[in-house]
Amino acid sequence: MDLALQLLFTGIGIGSVYALVALGFVLIFRATNVVNFAQGEFSMVAAFLMIVFSVKLELPYWLAFLISLGGMALLGALFNLAVYYPLRHRTYLPVIISTIGASIFIANTVLAIHGPEPEVMSGWFETPGFLVGPVYLDSQYLLIIAVTAALVALQYWFFEHTLLGKKLQATSQDKEMAALLGIPVAAMIMITFVYSAVIGGIAGILVAPVLFVSISMGSTIALKAFAATIIGGFGDVTGAIIGGLALGVIETFGAAYISVPYKDGFAFLVLVLFLVFRPQGIFGERVAEKA
Amino acid sequence: MPLLELRDLSVLYGGVEAVRGVSLKVEAGEVVTLLGSNGAGKSTTLRAISGLVKPASGDILFDGRSIAAERPESIVRRGIAHVPEGRRVFPGLSVRENIMLGASNRTGLSKSQIAAEADEMFDLFPDIRRFAGSLGWTLSGGQQQMVAVARGLMAKPRLLLLDEPSLGLAPVIVQAVFAIVAEIRRRGTTVLLVEQNARMGLSVADRGYVLETGRLVLSGSPAELWSNEEIRAAYLGGRTAA
Repeated sequence: MDLALQLLFTGIGIGSVYALVALGFVLIFRATNVVNFAQGEFSMVAAFLMIVFSVKLELPYWLAFLISLGGMALLGALFNLAVYYPLRHRTYLPVIISTIGASIFIANTVLAIHGPEPEVMSGWFETPGFLVGPVYLDSQYLLIIAVTAALVALQYWFFEHTLLGKKLQATSQDKEMAALLGIPVAAMIMITFVYSAVIGGIAGILVAPVLFVSISMGSTIALKAFAATIIGGFGDVTGAIIGGLALGVIETFGAAYISVPYKDGFAFLVLVLFLVFRPQGIFGERVAEKA
Repeated sequence: MPLLELRDLSVLYGGVEAVRGVSLKVEAGEVVTLLGSNGAGKSTTLRAISGLVKPASGDILFDGRSIAAERPESIVRRGIAHVPEGRRVFPGLSVRENIMLGASNRTGLSKSQIAAEADEMFDLFPDIRRFAGSLGWTLSGGQQQMVAVARGLMAKPRLLLLDEPSLGLAPVIVQAVFAIVAEIRRRGTTVLLVEQNARMGLSVADRGYVLETGRLVLSGSPAELWSNEEIRAAYLGGRTAA
């Protein structure tokens, strides 16, 4: 029982990272009807920016964090202009290929500048963690969970209670109608890309002390987050969060009780089972076909 | 000067010339109905006016200045609201949110002002008041049509483009929708209405045009069009003169 509680905590911690990256997937998917296969690279680039500003240049942690997120906002904007915008009137296929190309380009750009060695980043806190009853609470995992919860709450408030949030939703549901009402569609999509790059970046920075910072971390995280969106139901914000958390818990329990080397395998086993038996995911198809 | 003028407008749709050399005028305060059967080019004409498609040739003048090259976002800011075919209510937003977003073309309004205006819309459309918090997709076709028209009016348009508001609705609902068109007209908003239902379309109109395979073939007052044999045969269901 004690072990199960411990695993649950760790699972929710790592699952929060998947949930944040999955949110990035879902928001861009809803705005553009296309899966952004470079979403994981946003996390990787942000982690390397953190290494540059915090570890190499020894700036204060919070300052390095803000500069890195500023860099991510810029990357999101450039990504939109270079990868999506020129192809916005095409079908989904050229856009998907374009995001895959961008993913390879971004990963290799970082490789060319930095080299292949992984980096180690320390956590935010001096205290590595503390015991609450039988459960050891790692402070970095606590931070990940707290930041994820805060971001999800903030995003919920933004989408449900602001006019801009409603305009973003309207744009994702029917771009042509949104334009007819005078909603600046191109600006709405730009905001979506910038925001998705920033939350992907936050996920990468949060998880960096837990994993090694490496070129391949982007694709690893993105695969898990992609699985999380399938489990939750593609295009559903709540589903992405639940799916991410569920995936983190499943793979942590699988690693502890069944096999550590097959840790990643459990995530993909669950993904395959969902694709076969419930491809619409847990929360899929909530907006039924229109009457 | 007419509020809206189409000059020799031609528009391509899927490589085919769907609108061919159409010229028409809508004066301020008028309700003008554009009649025609399926595929006659009615919707394409409206889509060109609101900027969703660009004319192949000809010009579109609003208030005497050309808007043919402008984007939909800027055309609606000039005061042309388009309630498109199929209603296009945002399925995942509530009725109130759908209506509020209709004011997106107007600047300098606070969220509470817009909410208050949306509430006033329910006085004009009492049937949808009780669905204010329901998601768009849960409504029936007639209710969605009310939402779409209310959303269009939130733009405070000088010209309202209505594309087949009666399509797919039960006769009693069609009556209700046209009662609203009459009310909009009474309030002084200029309307360009596209209809297949000639009887309803002409009942609220000052003038009408008839479009056939992309060309204007007839125009006149409702009474003139009414008495035209071809119109009666084509759109009013059966020949009456022996």
